[in-house]
Amino acid sequence: MSDNVESPTEALREESKPQSEDSATNEEKKKIDVLLKAVGDTPIMKTKKWAVDRGRTVQSLSQFISKFLKLDASDQLFIYVNQSFAPSPDQDVGVLFDCFGSDGKLVLHYCKSQAWG
Amino acid sequence: MSLWAMEESSFYHCCHLLLQQSNQLKDGWSWEGSKEGYLKKTSFRSVIIDSRPLFDLERSCSEMGHHTSSPSVPDQWLDEKEQSAIADGHSLNGDMNDEDDLVYTVSETRSELLQYEYHILYSCSYSTPVLFFRAFTQAGRSLSLEDVWSSVHQNFRLRLQDSPLNVISLQEHPLLGQPFFMLHPCRTDEFMRPVLQAALDQHRSMNYLLSWLSLVGPVVGLDVPLEYYTQHCLAASLSSIKPD
Repeated sequence: MSDNVESPTEALREESKPQSEDSATNEEKKKIDVLLKAVGDTPIMKTKKWAVDRGRTVQSLSQFISKFLKLDASDQLFIYVNQSFAPSPDQDVGVLFDCFGSDGKLVLHYCKSQAWG
Repeated sequence: MSLWAMEESSFYHCCHLLLQQSNQLKDGWSWEGSKEGYLKKTSFRSVIIDSRPLFDLERSCSEMGHHTSSPSVPDQWLDEKEQSAIADGHSLNGDMNDEDDLVYTVSETRSELLQYEYHILYSCSYSTPVLFFRAFTQAGRSLSLEDVWSSVHQNFRLRLQDSPLNVISLQEHPLLGQPFFMLHPCRTDEFMRPVLQAALDQHRSMNYLLSWLSLVGPVVGLDVPLEYYTQHCLAASLSSIKPD
């Protein structure tokens, strides 16, 4: 059940264009909208809104953010839902969206921390 | 006491709330001891013990943009890996890579079904909860510290690299006096701060213990079911409904 490290070239598609005119639902598209918000002195991502495959795991998303922000290996990235808990790294973001999404998107806060030791 | 720490009375209150939810969700937590006690949970976990040296992991992550200087894995740890590999009858893979200084790598991952026992205690020194745990194979052999490090969720493994002893080490259980692995609590306030700050700003209640568990549990295979939080959200939203 551990998530394999995915190739970084597998992109999260940037939602820069407006929704296309087809009326496919998010479920049919199998992507959900994620809004990323920085916490504390963690660098802010230039692009905050992403369309993410439902099946992508939290760990995969975390790795993507770390790479995007060029974080050191020594930094641990934490992701929070509702600013109240951290989802398991193996959790699918699609499930998180179903449980905690609102206004058609899942808001995730992220924070870098030297959390251990 | 740090603003982001937790009073002891608050700890016991949060334990009580967590137990209530656990009973509802049949999640298996129990209270051990009397007034001064701890939460306990036992679970089985199929674990991939990844004995690859951590610098192997870092190299495979190098394309992710991480710093790739030579890691400082203690020599002693490497020797032990080699010895156990030979003892298990595994051959050393000769991954000769001209680009780096490694002479060989021991590539070995194995899957094991382990029984984990997790204890949540309160630390007076740090004013935070602390996670203790131990793990056994089906044959009853307890896991070594190296195996525990090797079974840490991949999401957190890179952070172990520099000083694994600062993350997980073997300690004496404060109440049982037996050796347990412990997840070090000294930086708990750092990753709890965003949660606490948000609760303060938004004038809402929160269960410190539940939030803390969601952050530390996955490091050592303890995932907290989402239902704990959906229940909590529902309760919070219900309590905020104003009467007409």
